[in-house]
Amino acid sequence: MTTQATPNPRTDLPPAPTRPRRTRLHRGRSWVGLAMTAPAFVLVAVILGWPMLQAFYYSMTQWDGITATWVGPSAYTHEFHDPAFRRVLQNNALLLLAIPLALVIPLGIAFLLDTHVFGWRIFRSAYFLPTAISWVVIGMVAERFFAAHGQLNSMLSAVGLGFLSTDFLSGERTALLAVALTFAWSMIGTNMIIFLTGMATLDPHLAEAARVDGAGGWQTFRRVTVPQLKRFIQFALMMTLISAFTALFSLIFVMTSGGPGYGTTTLEFFVYQTAFAVGQFGTGAMLGVILFVIMATVGIVQIVLLRTKE
Amino acid sequence: MRRIGLSIAVVVASIVLAGCGGSSSSGSGGSGSSAPVTLTLWHNYGTEQNATATENLVKAYEKLHPNVTIKIVSQPADNYFALLKTAAISHTGPDIAVQWTGLFTLQDISYLEKLTGLVPQAALDKMKGMQWMSGGLSTAGPAYVMPLEDQFYIGFYNKQAFQKAGVSAVPQTWDELNAACTKLKAAGYTPIVYGNGGQALGTEFYPWYDSSYLMIGQFSVDQWKGLYDGTIPWNSPQVTAQYDKWAQLEKNGCTNTNILTTTNNIEQFTSGKAAMIVDGTWDTQKFTDAMGSNVAAFVPGFSDSPMKGVVEYPGDGFSIMNYSPHKQQAADFLAFIASPEGIKAVNDAGLIPDVVGSTTTNPVNQQMLDFAAKQGFTRYPMLDNVTQGNVVNTGNKFLPSVLAGKISVADALNQMNSTWQQLPASQRGSSYSGG
Repeated sequence: MTTQATPNPRTDLPPAPTRPRRTRLHRGRSWVGLAMTAPAFVLVAVILGWPMLQAFYYSMTQWDGITATWVGPSAYTHEFHDPAFRRVLQNNALLLLAIPLALVIPLGIAFLLDTHVFGWRIFRSAYFLPTAISWVVIGMVAERFFAAHGQLNSMLSAVGLGFLSTDFLSGERTALLAVALTFAWSMIGTNMIIFLTGMATLDPHLAEAARVDGAGGWQTFRRVTVPQLKRFIQFALMMTLISAFTALFSLIFVMTSGGPGYGTTTLEFFVYQTAFAVGQFGTGAMLGVILFVIMATVGIVQIVLLRTKE
Repeated sequence: MRRIGLSIAVVVASIVLAGCGGSSSSGSGGSGSSAPVTLTLWHNYGTEQNATATENLVKAYEKLHPNVTIKIVSQPADNYFALLKTAAISHTGPDIAVQWTGLFTLQDISYLEKLTGLVPQAALDKMKGMQWMSGGLSTAGPAYVMPLEDQFYIGFYNKQAFQKAGVSAVPQTWDELNAACTKLKAAGYTPIVYGNGGQALGTEFYPWYDSSYLMIGQFSVDQWKGLYDGTIPWNSPQVTAQYDKWAQLEKNGCTNTNILTTTNNIEQFTSGKAAMIVDGTWDTQKFTDAMGSNVAAFVPGFSDSPMKGVVEYPGDGFSIMNYSPHKQQAADFLAFIASPEGIKAVNDAGLIPDVVGSTTTNPVNQQMLDFAAKQGFTRYPMLDNVTQGNVVNTGNKFLPSVLAGKISVADALNQMNSTWQQLPASQRGSSYSGG
């Protein structure tokens, strides 16, 4: 009788990798690492973590800045029934429509500059200039540009389109359009530099090979350059998105103060108005929490959607 | 890159959220002292006559009390109360601050010291309209503000412009007002000028001067409570009818065309380009200085029948912060407002002292006082002082655009009504409450 050896699952498996034994040196280094990072951790916890927890707590209270009365989670449901709040969210959503403009235009400019057109250094500086100007100054210039007797209406009249003239900042929708265009314009410099930097890192042989194979300028740009720039486009999109939600306060404050009505009030601006103009710090904290959740959600969704294989 | 992006998003969002946090605290008391002391006083008067009155008061008081120095700090008008509140939270604010009365006071009492028992009762008793600065807007409640002056929301007109245009009498009704506008416009005047010059409380003109008269034209002073407690909704037919007629003013050419962006409305009136302006007593002296006897006061005729009400109300004054270490010295300064020297300091600035029995030397101010005192007009409070702050803010956002024809009356009033409905029950009950 022959017997067939039965494999023993316990003994035939390759030996499990053993964790390398931690030496005293390793342990020492770990403690040093913890000790070195502890101050930063404590700082972040105190400066960011604790106020965040406080904000979450106060978001469920009626808090005038001095005395707080507990309301509970119903504060959130109450807020979502407020038409003003829904209008503010709508404004934020509409502002996002300006993001493609804020990406496509600088991408095109960067492509042209990357081909070293005549005077490209001057153009590069000129296009980057808005980035160096404060939002307040941009807002003041834009306010005059879009005003009833501003440059835009003068230009429209000069080219025979005077019938289109309007006081952009006094209509709810036109004012939001003016803010959106100003925002897109102000992002051109930053995004252009991001794309230009990205293009400088590309392998020129790919574009050259494409040209040898008969690809035109547009095809090369679309099929070769843009795919390679995906990471940079993603980064620019992220920065623009963050700016749209959290960096427009001073622009709106100067241009429209959130009006007419709630026409240009964004969530960020609404936080300020509710907390500091009306004095409802509890509701302001709640709006801040909502802004935080939206920002986090948008960021995560965007990363998931744009995820590519390494 | 993804991690960097996510990290940036999280950090930015965290900072936004963290900024919404903070800490609550309560005020601490202090005791009076006869030693040299420096008090800080905040105001939001800009360059109005109230600022001059404040300076006059401080100079006169310091002269009588050499051990007291009062440092005056002029804060921006458009976010003054936000600054005051944040300073109160951190106890870094002034000892004395300008405070608006009515519901503006009630919503801030958490950091205001009760004046009753601190300021001599004899001084408080001398002031008119103390109910509007006391708890529950009733004299039974403790006082929180010492009024600086008796104020009017009022119309001013250029006598010469009326004469040249053939407007023989001050318009008292909508029809008369529209007829006067037609004549004034034909004579080359801007009939009524609007803008955010003067009391610059925002980027657009302050709509509550007009709104007060719109509601006077429709409701009795007792009925106004209905706008607070909801028995008269802001989008009710009566309210809508009044704002509809108001919105026609711009369409009929009764106003300047760029009412949302004009900032030199005061200058347009004093220079004679505009014939009428709806403003307040804080600019009377400016007008009489520039126009002499050519300026007079009138009650805006925002009514179908002749107006019989006038906004006469102590709209502002000084409060003591409950965290001030110098409460008694601050109280002594507030009591000074009721003294003969204090009355003189206020009157010299062209304002109307709020002290019972005091007089004014400005003839236009005297004309205003006569509306109620001699002509039988009913005294009304300022509408924004007896309307919930949230509703006032919504009105500030929408009403200027209504007059400019950019937002419909229905949209604006629906927004105001919606804001009212969002208020907690405690702020829309049968008795006035600040929170």
